[in-house]
Order: sequence, then structure tokens, then C-alpha cells
Amino acid sequence: MKKKLPTYCFQCYNGPDLFKAVVEDGLVRSIEPNLDCKDISPAEGRVCVKAYGLVQKLYHPGRVQSPLVRTNPKKGRDEDPGWKEISWDEALDMLAGKMNKIRENGLTDEDGMPKFAVIMGQAAAPTAYAGTMPAFFSAWGAIDFTIGTGEGIKCYHSEHLFGELWHRGFISASDTPRTKLVLSFGHNTNASGGVAGVMRHAWARDRGCKRIQVEPHLSISATTSDEWVPIRPKTDAPFMYAMIHAILLEMDWREVCDVPFIEKRTNSPYLVGPGGYYLRDEKSEKPMVWDPVDKSAKTFDDPTIKGYALEGAYKASGIEIGADNKIERYEDAECRPAFQLVLDHMKPYTPEWAAEICDLPVDTIRRIARELVEAACLGETVEISGEQLPFRPVAITLGKTVNNGPGGYQCCWARTLLATLLGALEVPGGTVGASQRLNKPHHDRWSSVWPGKDGFMAYPFNPTDKENWPSEPRSRAMYTELIPLVANTGWSPFLGPVPLAWFSMDPDQKELPRFKPPEVLMVYRGNPGASMYYTDLVLKRLSELPFMVSIGYTLDETNHFADLILPDHTDLEGLQLFRFGPSIHSEAFWKSYGFALRQPAVEPVVNSIDMTDLVTGLAERTGILDLYNEAINAGMLLGLRLKGSGYDYELDPKKSYTKEELWDRLCKASTMILSDGKDEHGLDWFKEHGFYGVDYPQIRYYMHPVMVRWGLRYEFPFQERIRIIGEELEMRLHDKGIHWWDPQLEEYQALPECEDFSKPWDEACVKAGKDPAEFNLWLVNTRSMQYAWGSNAAIPAMAEAAKHVAGFKGALINSTMAAERGIAEGDKIVIESPFGSCVGRAVPRQGVRPDTVVFTGQFGNWNTPFAKDLGIPNLNVLTKPDLGLLDAGGSTADLVKVKIYRKVD
Amino acid sequence: MVRWGMVIDLTKCAGCQTCTVACKVENALGPRIQRVTVVEKEIGTFPKVTRLYIPKRCMNCKDPQCVEVCPSGATEQREDGIVVINKDDCIGCRYCMMACPYNARMFRGVERSYFDSPSKWEQRRYPEHDVGVVDKCDFCAERVDQGLANGLKPGDDLDATPFCVFACISNAMEFGDLDDPDSKVSQLIKERGGFQLLPEMETDPSVYYLPRRQGDDEENTDE
Repeated sequence: MKKKLPTYCFQCYNGPDLFKAVVEDGLVRSIEPNLDCKDISPAEGRVCVKAYGLVQKLYHPGRVQSPLVRTNPKKGRDEDPGWKEISWDEALDMLAGKMNKIRENGLTDEDGMPKFAVIMGQAAAPTAYAGTMPAFFSAWGAIDFTIGTGEGIKCYHSEHLFGELWHRGFISASDTPRTKLVLSFGHNTNASGGVAGVMRHAWARDRGCKRIQVEPHLSISATTSDEWVPIRPKTDAPFMYAMIHAILLEMDWREVCDVPFIEKRTNSPYLVGPGGYYLRDEKSEKPMVWDPVDKSAKTFDDPTIKGYALEGAYKASGIEIGADNKIERYEDAECRPAFQLVLDHMKPYTPEWAAEICDLPVDTIRRIARELVEAACLGETVEISGEQLPFRPVAITLGKTVNNGPGGYQCCWARTLLATLLGALEVPGGTVGASQRLNKPHHDRWSSVWPGKDGFMAYPFNPTDKENWPSEPRSRAMYTELIPLVANTGWSPFLGPVPLAWFSMDPDQKELPRFKPPEVLMVYRGNPGASMYYTDLVLKRLSELPFMVSIGYTLDETNHFADLILPDHTDLEGLQLFRFGPSIHSEAFWKSYGFALRQPAVEPVVNSIDMTDLVTGLAERTGILDLYNEAINAGMLLGLRLKGSGYDYELDPKKSYTKEELWDRLCKASTMILSDGKDEHGLDWFKEHGFYGVDYPQIRYYMHPVMVRWGLRYEFPFQERIRIIGEELEMRLHDKGIHWWDPQLEEYQALPECEDFSKPWDEACVKAGKDPAEFNLWLVNTRSMQYAWGSNAAIPAMAEAAKHVAGFKGALINSTMAAERGIAEGDKIVIESPFGSCVGRAVPRQGVRPDTVVFTGQFGNWNTPFAKDLGIPNLNVLTKPDLGLLDAGGSTADLVKVKIYRKVD
Repeated sequence: MVRWGMVIDLTKCAGCQTCTVACKVENALGPRIQRVTVVEKEIGTFPKVTRLYIPKRCMNCKDPQCVEVCPSGATEQREDGIVVINKDDCIGCRYCMMACPYNARMFRGVERSYFDSPSKWEQRRYPEHDVGVVDKCDFCAERVDQGLANGLKPGDDLDATPFCVFACISNAMEFGDLDDPDSKVSQLIKERGGFQLLPEMETDPSVYYLPRRQGDDEENTDE
């Protein structure tokens, strides 16, 4: 008898995606779309290739069959760990023993570093996905989440920080259903945009939306674009600066730009004084603008303002407030609107200048700039949820390597400037934030906005003032100390500076602070031994850990070094309520929001454990069950308080609950909250129906209405606060004698200067004692959908499908370049960087620049079942974190300079 | 008379391979057996290059050469146009594979496993198929039949439609009656210039492709 159980897939950030598991006689036969949610899901209830792979994940013979303990104390790649199966009681007792030792002797070591550290895998899978783990973390106390901080390479790092600051766009996306033109700088939607991303862009193509893909190789997304612009790696910022130059200085910007938007929704009219800070009214300390009608300076919110001057220079009096609140007074000083400064700033960045750097025809840059302004539909409006909003159907998206490392700030700034010039920021058809993660709440964009200083949104910077700057490190990667923009919320530790990640800190960079390893490291569904930069060093560090517990489903390159392996249930076995909608990551804009249940489709196939059982068992054994239950009561799981208006499902702090009891209460709380007390649905109801949601007004996806309602401006384009926090940070660090962060401090500019950001990679060659002329090819990394997140390297069906993706076969290189070097399809080639080398099969294609080599995904496995035999090269072994390749946000780009040659056997 | 057919939109297909894997799971297909395969085709010379994703499968031709060459009569054409293989009658001679202009048939010699030893799922589901026979896409004929028997409409209802059509996350595939001029598939072919692969083979495939909206030449997909 077949039955179809509603559940969901969360193998990537774009999830959950709802589907049904088809079960017959205790076997998951297959996976089906869940058309029950067709009308509310951005993916119409469908799931991507990874969800179908869940069947092989569930029944994989290579799964860890039961808890394993290491019997060989020696740790090394060539050491046999001597795994021995133990019972769950033995396993949890062993882990609790190590944890209790920490609790007895203090949670932090003599350097103040937490003795317990955690790595969340699948690119920092939300802790909320790990059963009740967030409640345990909350109950435990000090935990270091930074020792494997590596997302500054593999994510959209600069956009996370600046996008969140400027428009709550931790991730930004095109408003694909409405836009007419998408200009994508390496944003690989078809690979990493999830089901919704693929579907929305397919519909957009169908109705004639144009997409221009600017990137060094013809990616999976470029394939479905209307135009591929093969730009030289890491030169996207000059391209964008040149387009701004063309719009502002070669066209009549008053005609082609959205002037009302610039005047009222940005800081463009704010006067900047002689010192380079806002000229402020002395009494109110508010920034001032120039009213050309009354010919006087007024505070930006003066109700008598009759007009805004955007150009020119004016004499005005007031104060500037600089770093550490240093005040300068000015009488009749010459001040200029920020917009005038932008006009001046952009003069050197001509299309001719950029064309040479980008290795592109100059006409291409000018033409695309013209296409942008022509698509912007100035003056048009569209009705959303009953309100008329500006309609600006032109969007610009950025990929990860564009975002990260030197030039990341410039790319984000230029992209956002282009959007603001055209009034196409946070309005229908334009560039919109898809989620916010450093500001709360995560599940509603409008509610994350509140008025701050100077007419802008408030932002939770880490303090840089003398009194509050944390002079003693609190985590090994020092993110609160070094990166004011990263804030200090749940997601912040994952965004720390890459070279300071304890795992991959280069011993040659002796100036960096050294910390002892944590006493216990927990790795949840992660594999830093393959996925982190500088892999050889990571493996060495793994071998030095006093105790590591790994939670995962197969053996891999990381848990080869573990002391204890705990196999958790796969997605078709576990129980977990999870939020869906409104917007999640890239393009998952739901029409509804609510909660969905992951439910066991079948009995566990191996002796694995549900995460909630694991966590509750650990809470009991470490004596913090009461704190754990209280954390659940307080809303640590999914933000659901167990007691509220009209309901009370609170846990008795002293009692131990089963996972069914816990999630039943959370199911009930979720539905009572969403329905304002009208519906109470427990676990059984969710098992039958799968999800519960309420309508989400589509207008709330656009920040424009809330900005208008609050009378707020985007803190753009002039970056006074960025400059000030940089100056303050410099003083704080220098007071502590820290100078190794000086190159990063240079980035804190009010108007970022642009240059050829590819140069630092040549400098890294020189630093390594190599000749850049020898390493004259770029190695870049790209994603394909089968392997974008998902921990799918062990799944054979993914590999079989991926064989049809050219890049999966090896190293993509330009056909003409390959022929010149006598390299043919399938030849073994050595890819050598200044820091290492690896071997892969040559895949010559025309869709890649002659100076570029492309790897797809991250492999290089030697211990993961099945994947270890794939022989696919891994960029991570060719890299080395370097402060010289780091931006002020702490990220570096996923690329390295290499040379290639045929391998002689 | 009904003639089931499929329309594949090359503008929408994003090459994600979901249809391939979804079909394999749904139909319990072992290693290297792919009833639908999405191939890449690069067109042009750097820097003017583009690429097409082309889902390929049995075309369930109106005049199928595979039926003609089948010595045992295992391959036959139904009244609704679907070409099916009666596995009980297939002798595994593979003449049909030689005859198929689209290379859309595969031989299932022995049942292989993806792993060193068969998984529980493989042990349970692979026996649904015979070995020593030829395999191919039959538009999920059983699914279509069952759906019709339950009053469902192929193309509109998941349980009456080839599984890949509903699994496709870019909505690139449509299924329906080619003989009905008002069906969605017929309308798409008419409005969007739907074309068949290798028309010179005169097999009249029941799978049509809609050309990419920009920049591509239909001829480039004809291989």
C-alpha cells in the first residue's frame, strides 16, 4: 500500500522545498513534488535534483552504521582510525564526559577563548536545522563558532555586510518576475538559486526578459542568458565604475536618472564639509542639505525644504563630527552635496580605462550602460498589494568571487549606486534584498527596519569607540574586534576573517594572534577537510585537536580525524519543524509564510539518531536540561515562544521530553501564533498536512514603502559611517600595537576608489617567491546545481547526472589555448599554483577565456565513499589565505593564479 | 484519435538534470540507464559563444523504425502513439538500438548497483525490471493509463503525466495530445515554431522542441 508523506528538503540555503515521500511497505520508493503548496511556493511545489538524490542518501551502503569511536590515538591522513562501533549510551556518555570536564573547569581558557567550538556544515547550515541544537547552544554558554570560518571565500561576503547595511540585503536578487533586464556579474542563479531561482528565471526568459552575464567563463547561468560578456577575472568593479561614468558624465544624468529618488531616498543631497564629513547643524547635529530655492542650508528633515541641490558648492556654517566624536566647527565654509562628490569621484573611471583592465571592447561597456537606463522605465508605477509603487525593471546581481576579497566593497557600492541612480533599489522590477540575517527578525524584512541616526536605518555595528571596543579577543577569529560591519548576532561568527580561522591560519603569518585549540570541537554535517582553503594545513590542524565529535552520514575527509562519529538521521528519517517563507535566501520569495514538518518517512535504516534525541540526551548528561528546556520555552527554536497570548505549552524545566512531545508543542505554538489563536494544530496534523502558512503581502518584499513610511533614506552613496568606523578601528588597533590589519583599514573610504583588483594575486605570487609571469592563468571555481551545498559528493546519482555538465569532468580550459599547448580533451593536466598542485582531466571548450581555468564544485575527496574515486580536482589545495588578498570585511575571493601543463606519467 | 506528445522549450531548460534523476528514482533505473538525458551543446567561437541544454529521450515516433526492425514484436506502437517495449517478448537482440536515429535506447544487460553491494532500495526496486532487455522512455505509459482510468487528464494532472514533466523545475516540458489542434502542445508548436530533431529520418517524432528565443540557430540543435 503506497502512501505519500509530506516533508521537505533542506539541502541548500534556498530551502525548505516541500515534497512528498512515496512510501510502500516500509521503503521510500520515490520522491514527488508537493502540489498542495503549488499556489504559495515560489517553486510551485517542486524540488531540484538534490531532493531526488535523498533516496540514495537514505539507503547509501556507505552510511556510518552506528556510533563509532576511534581506537588509534594517532591522527593523520595515513593513519587507520581503527573505528569501533559503540552503543548510543556509550557515545553520549563519552561526549558528555568531555563536555562536563569543560563545565567543571570553566567554559573559556586562559585567553578567554571558548573551550567548546562548533562548525556547522553545508556552508554553515542554520543551527535551526539541527533539531533542538540551538536551545542546547543557548543553554551551554560560551561557544566558538569561528574556528572554521571559511564562508568569506565561499559566500557573497561583501554583499552580506554592505547589502545588509544599505538595504537589508544580506543576499540581493533581481525581482525576476517583473524585471526586464538582469545584469549579472557572475551570479550563478541556475546553480545556486535553488528551485525558485531556476523557475523564476525560466519564466522570465519565456516572457522576454533579457539577461546579460558578465563573467570569465560561460557558466550554467550564462548558458541561459542572452549575452555572455567574457570579462577578465576580478575586474568587475572597473566595469561597473565605467558604466556609472558613462551614465553620470557622458549622458545627461538629469534625464536618465531617477532624480526624485536620488534627492529623497539617498544621502546624495547631504552637504559634505571641508573635512570630508557631513556638515551638521550645530544644535541638532543633523546633516544638512542645500535648499536652492531659499538659498540656505537646512537640516535634511526640515519641513520647509523646497528643493535639494545635488550639484555645486555652497558656503554654509555648521559642524563636522568625525571619529571618536571629534567636532570641527566651520563658518561659511565651502561645502558640496555628496552627489557632487560622486560626480567628481567618477571622472577618472572612463569606459576606455575600464575596457583595458577588463579586456573587453569599450563599446560593450557603453552599450550596456545605455541598455540599463533604457530599461529603467523612469516615471512608471505598478500596483502591488493595492498600492502604487515605482516600477524600475532593471536589476544587477553579483556572484561570490565578484563579491569577495579586494574590490568586493567597490563592486557592492557600484552595483548599489547604479540601482539608486535608476531608482531601481528595493522597488518592483529592481534589485531587492532577499533576506536579512544580521538584523532581526529574519522572517520579515519590514520589521527589521527601524529609524537610526541621520535619517538612515539603524544598524548594529560592532563598537569601535574607545569605551566599548572589545580590546580582548572573544573568539579565535576576532570578528567583533576587526569587522564592525559583521555585527554580533547568530550569523556573525560564520562571517569572520578567513586568514584568522584557526583551522587555516598560516604559520608563516607570524604577526597573527595564536590561540589554543578548543578542547571539544563538534562538526555538524561539515567537511572542512575538503571544503576549506589551504587543505593540507586544515588536515594538520584536525590532527591536533584534543577531541572532535563529528555528526554526519558517511566517513569523510574531516571525521577521519574525529574521536567520535555520531550518525544522525538523514532528511527522510528525521523529525523537525522548520520555517518556510517569506523569503529565504536567493530567490525563494513565497506567497505565504509559516512552518513545515520534516517527518520520518521510514524507520531509521541504520543505527542513527535524531538530532533532537541526541541533543536532549546531551543536555541531560551535562546537567543543563533545565536551562535547555527554559531556552526552548523562551523561543530559541524557530523564534517560537511556548507561552503566549491564549496558549501555554511550556516545558517543565526538570523533565526530559521526547522529540515527539517537543515538536508537538512547537507545532501547536506555531499555528496558534500564526492564526492569532484560532488554529491549534499538533504534530499529527502536520504529519498529515505537511505545512501551515498564512498569506504574506507581496508588498513587504520591497523596502520602498517602509522607507517612505518612516521617512528614511538609504545610507548611500556617501559612506561617512564607514569612514568613521575605519578611523576609529585604526586608532583602537594601533593603541594595541596591531598593525597587520592596516591594509584592510585603507578600504574604509567614504567614496571607494577603484583600481585593477586583479593585481593582489600577482603580488601573492611574488610573496611566495614565484614569478607572476609564469603563473599567468586564473583558476576560478563555479557551482553546478547537483553539488551546490547538499553534502552530495557521496551520491552516485548526482555524479551520473553531473557527467553531462562539462565542467564536472575536470578542468575547463579554452579550446584554442589548449590546442596551442598540445592539450586534448581528457588529457591529464597538472594545475599548479604558487602554493600547491593537483591533477585533473582537460576539458577544452570555447566558453572560457584563454587566460582562465575553471573547476566545478569542491571535491578532492580521498575518504568519502564513492567521491574518493571521482578524481575531480579541488581548488582548495592550491590556495593559501593571505592578508594581502583580504578585504576589510574579512573575505577573500575563490580564485588563484596557476599554470597548467600536460602530466607526464 | 489521441496522439500523445511532448514539447520541450529550449529557452526554459536550465540544464539542471532534475528530470534525469527524478525519472531514474521514479522508474528505479540503475547505473547508466537514463531515459532522459540533458546534453550540452556549445555553439560558436570565443568570445561569441553560447551553449544549449537539450533534453534527449525516446521520441515515440509516429513512424518508428525500432518497431519495424524488432524481430520478436516486443517493441510496438500503441494506438495513442506511444512506443512501448513488451519486456516479456524482448530478446535483447538490440536491433532496435541500431535502428533508432536518436540513440535513445539502452540495453539493460545485467542489473548493476551504484555501490559495491546493492542498497536496500536497489534490492527492492530493481527487480521491477527485467534484465537482458532494452529500455527507453515510454512517456510513463503506465502512469498515463492509470491516470486516464482514474479520470485524470494527461498533461494537467501529475498522476496522469510523464513524471519528468512535473519534476522539471523550469517548466520546460509540456505533455498533451498532438492530434488535438487546441491542445497546449499543438498551440506551442504552432506559435513558437516547434521543430523535430532529424526530420530527414522521416520518423515523425512525437517530441517537439521550441527554439531558444535569442541568438540560436535551430540547425545547431539538430544532431
